[in-house]
Amino acid sequence: MLAKKYTMIINIAKCIGCQACTVACKFQNNVPDGKFRTKTPANELKGTYPNVSLYFVKEACQMCQKAPCVSVCPTKASYYNEDGVVLVDEDKCVGCLYCMTACPYDARFLNKETGAVDKCTFCYELKVSKGEKPACVSTCVGGALIFGDLNDPLSQASQFLAKHKGEVRKPEFGTYPNVYYIYEGVVK
Amino acid sequence: MDVIWGVSVNEVAWGGLIAIYLFLAGIAGGAFLTASLTDLFSKQQNPKVIRSGAYIAVVSIIVGLGLLVVDLGRPLSFWKLLLNVNMGSVMSIGVFIVSGFTALSVVYGYLIWSSAASQKQFKITSANTEVTSTSVGQGLQAFRKPVAGLGVLFSIGTATYTGFLLSAVTTNNFWYTPFLGIEAVPFLPILFLVSASSTGLAATLIGACNCGDLTAYKKVDMVLIILEMVLLFILYLSVEPVFFGGSMAALFWLGVVIVGLIVPLLLSFYGITKHKNVILPVCGMVVIGGLSLRYFVVYTGQLF
Repeated sequence: MLAKKYTMIINIAKCIGCQACTVACKFQNNVPDGKFRTKTPANELKGTYPNVSLYFVKEACQMCQKAPCVSVCPTKASYYNEDGVVLVDEDKCVGCLYCMTACPYDARFLNKETGAVDKCTFCYELKVSKGEKPACVSTCVGGALIFGDLNDPLSQASQFLAKHKGEVRKPEFGTYPNVYYIYEGVVK
Repeated sequence: MDVIWGVSVNEVAWGGLIAIYLFLAGIAGGAFLTASLTDLFSKQQNPKVIRSGAYIAVVSIIVGLGLLVVDLGRPLSFWKLLLNVNMGSVMSIGVFIVSGFTALSVVYGYLIWSSAASQKQFKITSANTEVTSTSVGQGLQAFRKPVAGLGVLFSIGTATYTGFLLSAVTTNNFWYTPFLGIEAVPFLPILFLVSASSTGLAATLIGACNCGDLTAYKKVDMVLIILEMVLLFILYLSVEPVFFGGSMAALFWLGVVIVGLIVPLLLSFYGITKHKNVILPVCGMVVIGGLSLRYFVVYTGQLF
């Protein structure tokens, strides 16, 4: 069987900024107070009447295929799993925070309860490995989040990306994220 | 409500303890270089300089490593850095360079201490009887020069490593700055090696300040200060102005440039021409400048 290439697509025009994803993530993953594996802040309010725009951008680990956090990690605690998901092996992590200095998306934080670095896992262990979708995706009110396997041409994710232009954040760093943003219908 | 509406603030993952560690590792490297090069190549052996450098190296590297371990999310699991190796990670390689340096500086410090102790003993005993002390310590003295020689390599390795640690973060536009635009040559290792030599030498001279003729050392330090000025000028021209204009600007201009470079250079120039002993203020300011430089680089790379 072919390895999976899990991806998340964020259709920004459909996001209403309700933060259901933010809350679902904190529920699902028992994220410490004040810390977030994902959150969806508002982009800056831009323009003047009648051309005013505001949209929300979901932030989380971008699951880079060339992840700076994995290459700098001195203990191989940050790694790619067999399905291309970037994860942290809590047991190997010593909490040096080198990965946090390297991540251009500020997706990581120190979990004071474990002493290890923590971040979005695509809910790999709790959901995805059991055939379910990540908590944020299944709870998304506006249907703005799509999750699937890009190696499967019939998956919803593959089909959606074939029809719409997906962009990645900060492409200049050459990190090749597995999280795509669709800006169609949004005034940037 | 800041989750939704707040402007995201760049979080600083590496703070003051890391800056002090980088500074102390530099001091240790520079002090070891001063001591070992004097030991290996100087004709008029200056034992006080050798002793001062060797002891400062041991103390600073051990204190620095202590701070580093305390700063970990899990201080008690630091030993995992020695077991789980990632050859692609500069930090993982650095663990072994710094460990090797620490071991060598402890051995060298012991050898210097034991030779000084036996000489002292000899002075006391020789007054009464002709005792030739053939203690175990003297047999070990045969290792002193090889340890010093190997230590030179490891101290240069440690000082440059503190720069490579930061410059390896390719996603950091400040730390990753290349030297004169040459992509393969990172800037910080060069800057930190020069700063380490300068501050380590300065710290060593503070420890040896009321002895013998230190003019040669003072001249070397002046050259290093000028070299560091040139390097910082190149850095200033190589990066976006935002890095030198933010909230860390005052620390840079006051701490690094004025206190750490310009005033000590002028003062040591005055000291050398007028034969005045101004080691303490000059070297003290150089050391403060080195600490300011590490703080400036560590924070500026993360804040902007």
